[in-house]
Amino acid sequence: MKDRVAMEVFSEPLDEQEPRALKEIRELDELTTLGNVYLAALMRKHLKLSVTASLSFVFVLCMIPIVADRVPSFSSVSVLGIPLPWALLWFGSYPLMLGLGWYYVHTAERIDDEFSDLMQ
Amino acid sequence: MTISAAVLGLLAMTILTLAVGTATRRFGRTTSDLLVAARAVRPGLNAAAISGEYLSAASFLGVAGLVMKFGFDVLWYPVGYAAGYLMLLVFIAGPLRRFGAYTIPDFAEGRFESPGFRRVAVAIVILIGLFYMFPQMKAAGLTLATSAGVPYWIGVVLIAVVVASNVMVGGMRGITMVQSVQFGVKILAISIPAFVLIAHFGLPGQLFRDASKSRYPVAETTTRIDVSAGTVWRLPAPAHIRVDRPASVEVLNTSNSDPGVLAFSNEQARPPGKSHTPPINIVSTQVLPEGTLRWREAAVTYIAPGSALPFGSQTPISSTGDWLKPFGPLAGGSRHPLLFTYSLILAIVFGTIGLPHILVRFYTNRDGRAARRTALIVLGLLGLFYVWTPLYGLLGRLKTPQLYSNDLTDTVVLVLPQVLTPGLVRELLSALLAAGAFAAFASTLSGLLVSLAGALGHDVYGNWLRPDSSPRARALAFRLSALLFAGIGVLGSVVVEHFDISVLVGWAFAIAASSFFPLLLLGIWWPRLNLVGAALGATVGAVSATIAIVTTMIGAAWLPVGQLLAGHPALAVILAQPAIVTVPLSFSVMVVLSRLRPPNRAVAAAKMLQLHVPERLGLRKDYIAD
Repeated sequence: MKDRVAMEVFSEPLDEQEPRALKEIRELDELTTLGNVYLAALMRKHLKLSVTASLSFVFVLCMIPIVADRVPSFSSVSVLGIPLPWALLWFGSYPLMLGLGWYYVHTAERIDDEFSDLMQ
Repeated sequence: MTISAAVLGLLAMTILTLAVGTATRRFGRTTSDLLVAARAVRPGLNAAAISGEYLSAASFLGVAGLVMKFGFDVLWYPVGYAAGYLMLLVFIAGPLRRFGAYTIPDFAEGRFESPGFRRVAVAIVILIGLFYMFPQMKAAGLTLATSAGVPYWIGVVLIAVVVASNVMVGGMRGITMVQSVQFGVKILAISIPAFVLIAHFGLPGQLFRDASKSRYPVAETTTRIDVSAGTVWRLPAPAHIRVDRPASVEVLNTSNSDPGVLAFSNEQARPPGKSHTPPINIVSTQVLPEGTLRWREAAVTYIAPGSALPFGSQTPISSTGDWLKPFGPLAGGSRHPLLFTYSLILAIVFGTIGLPHILVRFYTNRDGRAARRTALIVLGLLGLFYVWTPLYGLLGRLKTPQLYSNDLTDTVVLVLPQVLTPGLVRELLSALLAAGAFAAFASTLSGLLVSLAGALGHDVYGNWLRPDSSPRARALAFRLSALLFAGIGVLGSVVVEHFDISVLVGWAFAIAASSFFPLLLLGIWWPRLNLVGAALGATVGAVSATIAIVTTMIGAAWLPVGQLLAGHPALAVILAQPAIVTVPLSFSVMVVLSRLRPPNRAVAAAKMLQLHVPERLGLRKDYIAD
């Protein structure tokens, strides 16, 4: 079964295979209607990822002042002797940022690779 | 002696900076050599250089000083400084590197094909750069004054000379290596003393328990505070105080006793109590009432152990409860603490993206992918640094509360080792912290000077006034500009001597967040953004934020404006922390003006292609040709 697929690919004449492989990238380079669709799709994927990663952090960050304002006991709780608001900002925020940053880089590289594979 | 160890630390850093800068001298021949470091620096090394440049005096000295002064609310500063890199990573780093823009003016010109917009951007670069440079100069003066005992202005001039000569000789290539070395110095200088201090005084949990024991900072041992004629003290509780010579205190405002004059006279003279303290000519002991007091004569005062310490005229009185909780004296002092806090967060988190000397570094990456990885490593390195800074502020409240009385909380990082028992460890830590502080302001100042001199020498002179000038003439213009801005920095640092380092830096962030952040975010992600919208939006944001900040500065120095602001608390908050108004304003101007005109889809799509398509496909052309 596998062999037959391989045979079919190899049996295609070379001069037909080459233009097929370059077709998408040329659409993109010359920014035809189709190329624009490819580009918009790539940007949309990236923007969605960027907004997700940044808003998750901003949401957590912005919850702290509003919770501290509405729930006075929030500031009286302590973790290992450290008041909760201090513990969250002092020790909690950097690992969260780094985790989100790592997730972003990992996913963004995957999006880029998938896009490049599709185009080439 | 403590002073000599700290001076040695400073001296070692000065020599190191000059040596590495001079060693790379032979590279600094033409303008492009001076501006652009070797391409394809590995992400790890590049990230160390970026962190080295970013961790300024505001991070090394200012954050700890502000934590000591204001407590919890200040934690937004270090968290925001680091979170700015998260925003830079997810929105800007990759596309900007792909676009091939080296500076923000490059991006402004390339994205909108307008040399005119480039000039507007250059003007904003200079504005932000100056606002960011003054506090670094202040930190330099403060560090040398604290560690070496030289007058403030001499410290400022010294650092200006060292940094300017380095930039003039080596340019960007020279400072790339210097900056990665300086990052190493800074991270060691902040963490090693922190370990020693924790070993002596306990983990943060223990320190918080110690701090909660008293309502106001108290003297642990007999604490010396020098006063001059006219020094104002605000005592939160009655205090037992001895003085070394006859002196008198005016009681200006007190709840328990009548206003009047208290005199320390000769009658109650007695010898000093402890044998190891140097003999002091003690005149008398008095119990000073709580309230506002003014010294009529200069004197050396000694606060008795267990007594409350006075707060100086520039330092708000903070009870331990307020200091520990959100909306303490920093935000709560404004009557609109939530508005203040959110505006501060907005400015710091999004201001990083618009700082002119930061984005330059991403051009030294090989491609967009490397730029992202670099930004991620920077994020990790910054977290590793900032996690130590609040410790110094917390320890300062417990161990060196006399800094509240002197209005010198900005020096807490440098002063803290002196509470340790005298010995080699103490000397080494003093030297290390002085070296770290030097590395902090020297590296940021170098980066700023390169950006500012590049803007003036390269853009204004080389591209605008004399487009036909030779590379030699441009390199000379770059060097003269570096000298000019170092001089302006010295003058500016005298003006800002009495503002907190981190507050000043926060203002530079507010201007950057209101101008370049909307420009970059919309310019990269919104194809419809056009020249008119981008240029006017960035200008309106920069100008409105600057007007707000300058009004606040005038209000602090000139009573009529100060009183006007005090009468309108909401307006005062918005002027002191303008980002919450000026950032949306800049965005709205950009969006509305861009929508007024029909889009030029073909050009916009070509720009988006350059910004977002992976390099692997080979479609991109660098904006700057090598």
